[in-house]
Amino acid sequence: MSRAFQSLAIPASAGIGLRSPHIAEMLTRRPSAGWLEVHAENYMGDGAGVEALERLREIYPLSVHSVGLSLGSARGVDSAHLERLRKVCERFQPDLVSEHLAWSVADGAYLNDLLPLRYDEEALAIVARNVETVQDTLKRQVLIENLSAYVAFADSSMTEAEFLAELVARTGCGLLLDVNNVQVSAHNLQYDAKAFIDALPAAAIGEIHLAGHATNHVGADTVLIDDHGSRVPPVVWALYQHAIDRFGPRPTLIEWDTDVPVLDVLLGEAMWADMLTASIMFNRKQAARRKQTAEPRPTPICLSVEGQTTTSMPVLAAFAAARAPRPSISAALHSIEEEYHVAA
Amino acid sequence: MLPLEHLQTTMARSVLAIEPLVSAKMLTAGKADPLARLRIYQNNTRSSLTAALMAVFPVTVQLIDERFFRYVASEFIRRYPPVEPRLPRYGAGFPRFLKTIDTLSDMPIVAETARLEWAIAEALDTASLPPRSLAEYDNTDLGLSPDILLQPSLRLVVSHWSILSVWMAHQQETAVDESITWTRRPERVALWRSGNYVRLFLLDRASFAFWHSLKHGFGLEHATGRALALDPAFDLVSALVRLFRDRLVTNVRVAANSPSN
Repeated sequence: MSRAFQSLAIPASAGIGLRSPHIAEMLTRRPSAGWLEVHAENYMGDGAGVEALERLREIYPLSVHSVGLSLGSARGVDSAHLERLRKVCERFQPDLVSEHLAWSVADGAYLNDLLPLRYDEEALAIVARNVETVQDTLKRQVLIENLSAYVAFADSSMTEAEFLAELVARTGCGLLLDVNNVQVSAHNLQYDAKAFIDALPAAAIGEIHLAGHATNHVGADTVLIDDHGSRVPPVVWALYQHAIDRFGPRPTLIEWDTDVPVLDVLLGEAMWADMLTASIMFNRKQAARRKQTAEPRPTPICLSVEGQTTTSMPVLAAFAAARAPRPSISAALHSIEEEYHVAA
Repeated sequence: MLPLEHLQTTMARSVLAIEPLVSAKMLTAGKADPLARLRIYQNNTRSSLTAALMAVFPVTVQLIDERFFRYVASEFIRRYPPVEPRLPRYGAGFPRFLKTIDTLSDMPIVAETARLEWAIAEALDTASLPPRSLAEYDNTDLGLSPDILLQPSLRLVVSHWSILSVWMAHQQETAVDESITWTRRPERVALWRSGNYVRLFLLDRASFAFWHSLKHGFGLEHATGRALALDPAFDLVSALVRLFRDRLVTNVRVAANSPSN
């Protein structure tokens, strides 16, 4: 029988992917990590990791990210695996559940990789049916993640972004925007990464993923490999900035799966994502205020709002405020906090 | 245009085999060669599943050298890919597959050690239940032959080869004594999960039979009978105390067919 956990909502701020080398440190140090995401398939057994995650679930909001449902499989979703995912959700009571727009099972084999779909009406009908099956079984909305791809199908009749938008309309699913995947696919298949993001329905974006990728040179071909094995590169941060500009703050995950570094590196990347988001939102509010006020009133810089001490001012936002001649930080800070709560 | 299911079957076979079965005309990859890009999926599948096998069979990797292990793993993956996404469950057939490799035919200890490593992997993915103490049953009438339930992660492995000695010798960075590696000597190993670790012990024939009977639910009387048949000096009290001391007992209950029931 599953235990009852306190409901912990995932905030519109950064979290980290929980990886086994960090579990002991997470349990002992309990660092400020925002929230955690785990791969569902790693917690379908009864090993020590499962016991540890139960303890961490008491402290951190949790997202369950599945990699094995194969939502794009023409044969449908494996009911046994879906039942295992349902049990994981029942056991850990996550706030978010997500999967990929991909297939990994065919001909009786699980390929342990995420393969792209041919984006057409036939695939859309199949994926929509599979997503509905998952949502009906889990009795909740799931977020569907865009894919990193190295090939596409010549006979596709729509783009991946159009496919995702239509999937949202048909099934009511949400979207997990993997910004690194956008960069990898856009480079490899030669399309405009920002246009991809702009084509997604903003209200459906429930989570963002950030990660690093590798650059391989094979002959004349330079291909980006989605290996989750390094820091988030500047080009992905720039794309993330574009996404936040468009969608506002969203729960954002730092993923790192190969050559996993010490925990503090992941926490540092998460902190950077938070600072970048806060800085974007702060600047946006300042710009809006400048537009509204022809002659803004100078207000002294003050980090306390109505007598309450506020210590959550992100460093980048504070730097931006210190550099800006006006207007009031206290008013702008209030707006940032409002944004966070709305998005959460 | 192929129906999606047919397309996916063709793609899957292309990814698992080295030869591309997918026509280049079906794929695009910007200015790059789509079939060259298809090899990225082949590499991803092979390397990630090889890594999964290497994580489960680290001593086997050392025994046959990493490059040869990768070759064997690659063949195993091509012929027996996973049938489900739980990777901790992938590799059950690998020890048996090792026995079919001609190059390893005069090294049976490799497959036997792999069998031990698979048992360890299974134990690590199995629940650890709260242990019971002897004192809890001080005032309980359990009948003449109660059932003793043991930790579900308990695995019992018997081999004609010195698999635990080999496994132990490869847990440290120091050079391995070859005389240990190749000893043909039967070993009976008990192992079970304890927190993040697995505890491993060598058992004598009688104790092994005793534990084996209990694990398979034959009850204390049957287990004791089997142990005594193998060793008339088998000490039941010591054996019971050890089970409790090692935190292996998860329940003791009156047997279903007990006269006192």
